[in-house]
Parts: sequence; C-alpha cells; structure tokens
Amino acid sequence: MYNFLDFLRRYHYILLFLVLEGISFWLLFRFNNYQGSVWLTSANHAAAEVNRLYDDATAYLHLGTVNRQLTDENLRLQLEAEALRNEIHRLRNDSAAGDSSLRLKLIDYRLIPATVVSNTNRDANNYLVIDRGTKDGVTPEMGVVGGNGVVGIVYLTGPHYSLVMPVNNQKSSISCRVRGQHYFGYLQWDGSSPRSAYVDDIPRYAKIKVGEMVETSGYSAVFPPGIYVGKITAVRNSKDGQSYRLDLNLGTDFSTLRDVNVIATPYKAEIDTLRARAAAADAQSGQP
Amino acid sequence: MLQNYLALTGWLLLLVFLQATVFNHIHLLGYATPLPYVYFIVKLPSTTSRVGYLLPGFLVGLLVDILSSTPGMAAASLCAVGLVAPPLLTVLLPADRDEGAVIPSTQSMGRGKFMLYALLLTLLHCTLFFTIEAFSVHHAATLLLKTAGSTALTFLVIMALESIRKHATGSRTARI
Repeated sequence: MYNFLDFLRRYHYILLFLVLEGISFWLLFRFNNYQGSVWLTSANHAAAEVNRLYDDATAYLHLGTVNRQLTDENLRLQLEAEALRNEIHRLRNDSAAGDSSLRLKLIDYRLIPATVVSNTNRDANNYLVIDRGTKDGVTPEMGVVGGNGVVGIVYLTGPHYSLVMPVNNQKSSISCRVRGQHYFGYLQWDGSSPRSAYVDDIPRYAKIKVGEMVETSGYSAVFPPGIYVGKITAVRNSKDGQSYRLDLNLGTDFSTLRDVNVIATPYKAEIDTLRARAAAADAQSGQP
Repeated sequence: MLQNYLALTGWLLLLVFLQATVFNHIHLLGYATPLPYVYFIVKLPSTTSRVGYLLPGFLVGLLVDILSSTPGMAAASLCAVGLVAPPLLTVLLPADRDEGAVIPSTQSMGRGKFMLYALLLTLLHCTLFFTIEAFSVHHAATLLLKTAGSTALTFLVIMALESIRKHATGSRTARI
C-alpha cells in the first residue's frame, strides 16, 4: 500500500498526463467529424472481427449437432427418393399424362406440326381446318393430337390445308380404352358440350371408377396407344343395358385449340394391307 | 518570480492571439503552418513541476483549439510535449548550473543547446499535431511534408520571438 502511494506520489504526473490526453481525445472524437468517424469505423471493425471469431468458434462447437441433423436429413431423403422411385415405377406402368410423356409415346411416329386456322365449335358436326396438306405429307385418316391429348382424325386433304374431324363431331369414332384396364370402346360425342364425350361398349364386368383416365387403344392404327383422351366423370348404363357408358371430360379444349400435330403412323399402311389380305382371303374362302 | 509568471501569461495570451489571428492562416506552399505557441512550454523555468508542465500544456492547447476550432488536437499534442520537456531540459541544461530556476534561453543554455531544445519540442509537437489531424497513415508523404515544413517554420518563428524577447529584455536591462 505504501509502495503504491509512493508510486502515485512519484508518478502522479503520468496519471495526470493520461487523464489530460483522455480528455483531449474525447474532445477530438466528440467534436471532430472526421476523427470521430475514423474512430467509430475502426472501433466497429474491431467489434466485427471479435464477433466473427466468436461466431467461428460457436459454429465449430455446433458441428456435432449439424452433423447429426445432416445424417438424419440424408436418411430421410434416401427414404423419400426410394418412395419416389417406387412411385415412378408404378406410374410408368399404367399412367402417363401431359406433353412430355406424349412425346415419348410418339417417338416412333412422324409428327407434322400444324396450326388450326379455322374452327367451329357450336354445330353438331364440327370441323377444324389445319394449315398442312398433301404437300406436307398429310393424308386422310391420320390422327391429330394436341398438347392435351387427342384432337381428331384428318378427314379430307387439300394440297396445303386439311379438314380434320375432331372428337366433338357426331360422326367421329375413335377406339379408346381405360388406362390400365384395357377394356376398350369407341369415343362418341353427343353434341351437348364441347368438353364432354362418352365411351360406349365397356363390358359390365369391368370395374371402372370415376376419375380414371381414358386413352387411345392403338387398335385403329390411327393413333398410337396410350394417348390421353379424357377423364371419366360418370359411369352409367348404355341404352341397351348390355354395357357401360362412360361420360368423359375431354382433355382437349377445342375453343382454344391452336397448335396440333398430325401423326403420320408408319404402321398404318402395313395394317391396312394385312386387313385387305384378310378380307380377300375371307371372300375367297366364303365363295366356293 | 511573480514577474516571470506575469510575463509568461502575457506571452501566452499574445501567442494564442497571434495563433488564432495570424499563424492559423499561414499555409506556406500549402504545407507549412507555424504553431509557435510551443514557445510557451519552451520558456517554462526549469524548476517547474511535472504537473506544472502538463496542465499549462493542456490548457494552452485547449485555448488554441477553441480559438482555431480544432478541439483536442493541440491539447493532446502540447500535453505530450509537456510530458517530454522536463527530462529533455534536464539533459540539456549544463550540469554545473546553480540551484535556482533557469529560464531556458540562448543566454542561460547556450545558443546550440537552446536551439536543440526548442527544435526537438517543436518537432514533437508538430508531428503529434499533424498526425492527429490526419488520423491515418494513408497519405504519409503529405503528412511528412506538413510536419517538416511546419516544424521548420515554427522553429523560425520561435527563434524570432526569442530574439525579440532577448532584445526587449536587453533594452529593459539597459534602461534599468
């Protein structure tokens, strides 16, 4: 204690000096914008550096927890990926809707892109006109599809334009099946609404639910199998009571239809030839 | 002794007044500004206590700061000069001097020693003052030029003041 007091007595001017310098620098920072700003910035810089170091340290300490969380998340994602893989596998077997899957199904077929230039939507027998004709390779009885599914069948062709009989024409009849069930029937239109049609001749023992999808069967060789037609909205008895009649909500909205593709099937000629031969053979065997 | 303090106070007021009105507006070549109020510290008698150096240094600096709106700069620098001055004076004063108070001057210390004393204190003050003013080392060349120029100019002014004082004292002595 005495030493301390002695020290104070001998070097009290150092303390005074420090106090006076302290006052001076307080004045300096308090009343000079420039020095004050520099002091504040360097002070903040120092504080930021300390904070950063602290942050680094705590982050390092929390690595264990983070690792645990990442492992859990990894497991969860693996399970989810497996579930999704199963789901994709299941859906690949019996279901496919939309543009990209449509493209995959049409990969063997030649597509002729076309634009609808004329369209009627009110009559009982509607027709579409598309801007592709025989010069583009379009021939009658070719299928026409849009992005949302089946549109119709080419009916008449000119050199540059073609007339298409769409699904919403009472003369139209396209072979269809219920997706995943393979019971097939013919798509008809009753002239009521442009978005609804029906499929006849579905056997009564078929177990069909509302909301299932109807797609092309591929039997007619006009359309490849599996092209989306519409969704079942009701299942009821047909007029003769022998079969079911499925009411459909069509995938294609004909009132806004613009871009379509004509499907040039490579197998149609072959199938037609085979059918003609079979008919000829039938006729020969039936004649004698 | 009282006379000496009165004289010092007179010098102090004159120096501060001159600083505020004249010297602060001198920027020779854009760099050199005389800060001759250091002369006040230079002229403090050798028997002055350490506190007697520090407090007047601080107060004179504060006065200059208030009058030239540089709060803290001159106070901090001159206070530091007040801390360094006594040991420096002890070193520079002749060892075989009398017990009594010695007022640093060309006569009492010898021309060379006094000039060195004044120059060192001036250099310290100018260095501190301009470093605090710049408060960064990004323009070191400018800072050095300012410090060197101001030190030289301040030293010249202090020598001039010393010369005037000597002649005044001399003439007064002659008259008496």
